[in-house]
Amino acid sequence: MKYNIPVFLPIVLLVMAACGSDEEREGVVWNNIEKQLQSKFITAKEGDTIRLEEGFFAFSRSLILDSKKNITIAGAGIDKTILSFKWQEEGAEGIRAANCKNITFQDFTIEDAKGDNIKVTDTDGITFSRVKAYWTGGAKETNGAYGLYPVLCTDVLVESCIAARASDAGIYVGQSDNVIIRNCLVYENVAGIESENSNNVEIYENTAKNNTGGILVFDLPGLTQYGSDIQVYKNTVTSNNHVNFAPKGNIVGIVPPGTGIMLLATRKVEIFENTITNNRTVGTALVSYELVNAMEKEEEEAAGSAANINNNYKLDSLYNPYYSDIYIHDNVYKNKHWFPTMKSDFGKLFLLKFPFRTPDILLDGFRPPHEEWNICISNQEKTRFANLDAPGSFENIDKSIKNYSCNIPTL
Amino acid sequence: MVGVVWTLLLFQMACNEKESAKPIILKEEEFEVEYDYPALRKLSEYAFFTGTMHQLNPVSNLIPYELNSPLFSDYAEKSRFIVLPEGGKMIYHPTEVFDFPEGAILIKNFYYPLNLTDTTGAKRMIETRLLIRKSGTWEALTYVWNDDQTDAFLEIAGKNIDVRWVDANGKSQKVNYSVPSLNQCKSCHWRNEEMTLIGPSARQLDKSNELYPGGQNQLIYYRNEGLLAGIPNPTTHIPLPDYSNPASGNLISRARAYLEINCAHCHRPEGPAKNSALNLLVSETNPVAYGVGKTPVAAGKGSGGRKYDIVPGKPDESIFIYRMESNEPDIMMPELGRKIAHQEGIELIKEWIRNMK
Repeated sequence: MKYNIPVFLPIVLLVMAACGSDEEREGVVWNNIEKQLQSKFITAKEGDTIRLEEGFFAFSRSLILDSKKNITIAGAGIDKTILSFKWQEEGAEGIRAANCKNITFQDFTIEDAKGDNIKVTDTDGITFSRVKAYWTGGAKETNGAYGLYPVLCTDVLVESCIAARASDAGIYVGQSDNVIIRNCLVYENVAGIESENSNNVEIYENTAKNNTGGILVFDLPGLTQYGSDIQVYKNTVTSNNHVNFAPKGNIVGIVPPGTGIMLLATRKVEIFENTITNNRTVGTALVSYELVNAMEKEEEEAAGSAANINNNYKLDSLYNPYYSDIYIHDNVYKNKHWFPTMKSDFGKLFLLKFPFRTPDILLDGFRPPHEEWNICISNQEKTRFANLDAPGSFENIDKSIKNYSCNIPTL
Repeated sequence: MVGVVWTLLLFQMACNEKESAKPIILKEEEFEVEYDYPALRKLSEYAFFTGTMHQLNPVSNLIPYELNSPLFSDYAEKSRFIVLPEGGKMIYHPTEVFDFPEGAILIKNFYYPLNLTDTTGAKRMIETRLLIRKSGTWEALTYVWNDDQTDAFLEIAGKNIDVRWVDANGKSQKVNYSVPSLNQCKSCHWRNEEMTLIGPSARQLDKSNELYPGGQNQLIYYRNEGLLAGIPNPTTHIPLPDYSNPASGNLISRARAYLEINCAHCHRPEGPAKNSALNLLVSETNPVAYGVGKTPVAAGKGSGGRKYDIVPGKPDESIFIYRMESNEPDIMMPELGRKIAHQEGIELIKEWIRNMK
């Protein structure tokens, strides 16, 4: 035997860590109220509250609420009422609500859905209050995509919720209007909170910790609507350095580990009074779809794929791949890390271009060709800044934040 | 040293044990659904069939019908009937499903032939789904057949039933068949804020039916019998081919027909999956919109690590095939209505993609 003990110790520790995370549900006896509860969802009358007792409940197929008005689903509290979909055999989400008006989910934990924990689609008036949506077995690529997922909705309120370990976004609002996400905790997701193609969105007083990217504001081509008028404020966005575990083919796969706030191709966005700390790659990044496209293209060429079918966003003639009318002010940036994480191309690029300390605020430098850009950064003169000049192959990086000193009336 | 190795093994064993440990999930207590659900409790109360009920001998006002390309439902076979109220007519449409008069009922019986290699025709009835035209909308109901096959009973919350049969190759097959909950019905039948039919369009009904006098074409029969209003002469629809029959259309038209009937009830501009921007109606002419080189929007791990819905010439790099082949709830497509992969359908779509330039 030529190996000695110190070589083995780390392996033993690794094994312990690898299987340690499922223990929190060990020995639980799961109650079964599946048909009763699904029946209640079906027969609920306008104004009903469906109460869930304290306890552990397991389900084998999605619970579906459809075409209902003014219904509240209320548990006994986070970590008191626990709905598990770990042994789910049918349906792509834990709970699904569709075509409803004024639905409230409150005071329960929902975990381990095969797909999304709660998806709400085509609904006017949806509130999530004190709901915890997560996956018990740690952050894994095989976890579902979204924790709380309202899409194609209006009047969305997500408050005092916890979302963790989603392989896409913990709290994701897509193609929706009039959205408030506040006082939530999101951790160990690829994206902590993501607003995509949504309008009139306020994201405030949330804590985003140890995600790959803390808060994302994205606009993508080819969807039912585009997004704008978004405020991100008074959030704590810290140590979002988690490895990116999104399955390939998903847009959040582009987010470099170590990203605080990332804005993609969206207009009229105000980012202010946030505390953005210890995100290793970048505090706040403004990125155009041109950059995403260029990165994808490069990757495909490197992979030897001649397909080059990724210019599809140009087929959506109404899509605007640029960000503009962006106002960033009064944020606090701190970064104890001197070097970016090397887990992404961005990290490597930054190490090359910013050998000591990566930027707090960064623009890719792609500008809309025919309209005003309007990028204003004020009240944070000491912030480390860079315009990457990606269109010019990073030749003329502009590090002067003063060139962007201006004000825009707040939204 | 040996001690360290043992420790390591012990940890691994502990770990494996935890992985395989069976969860303790209690059986749900029997409960009486206090449903004041406004529907008949038993299928027999509708008096659709005469004689031995499970033989499905229709009373005279039931019109049997078939579709050119039916939806795949775990190899279950279906027997379909239309009931029109006295003097009521369907109204023709060149692309969409027909309009039906108040009081119309569509009946779809799901069953498995016990043995496809014999000729006894013995079958097991599973469920009978009804769509009833009431107050200007469609109401969906399903009735599950009892073990004695004497009647079927209203089921609102869904149910799983183990089914076994012998396939045409003499091979024994089984499936944990899923009867949908009434809300799951809506997952497919909901469009433009209302319940909608999926099957009975001119494009689907334009076929001969041996159950009709002289084995004539269904549409012609309806017209001659005064059951269908507004049908122009000549007709203006383009019939859908039978995707399983190469004589009925070329590869492209059969593949597109398959995708339309199996996917487009959701994946169309007004359907529940419109957020994905994928449109699988045959009428869609933009290749990106029907998946060619299209990146997924919210597929999650449904992407299978593949980047595009369809990569021309490369079925095994296309997300379509990955999701059609999967039986995992969060990966498989369609999301509902099947537990097993449809091999013949997968082959058809693979062939279509393989031949795409």
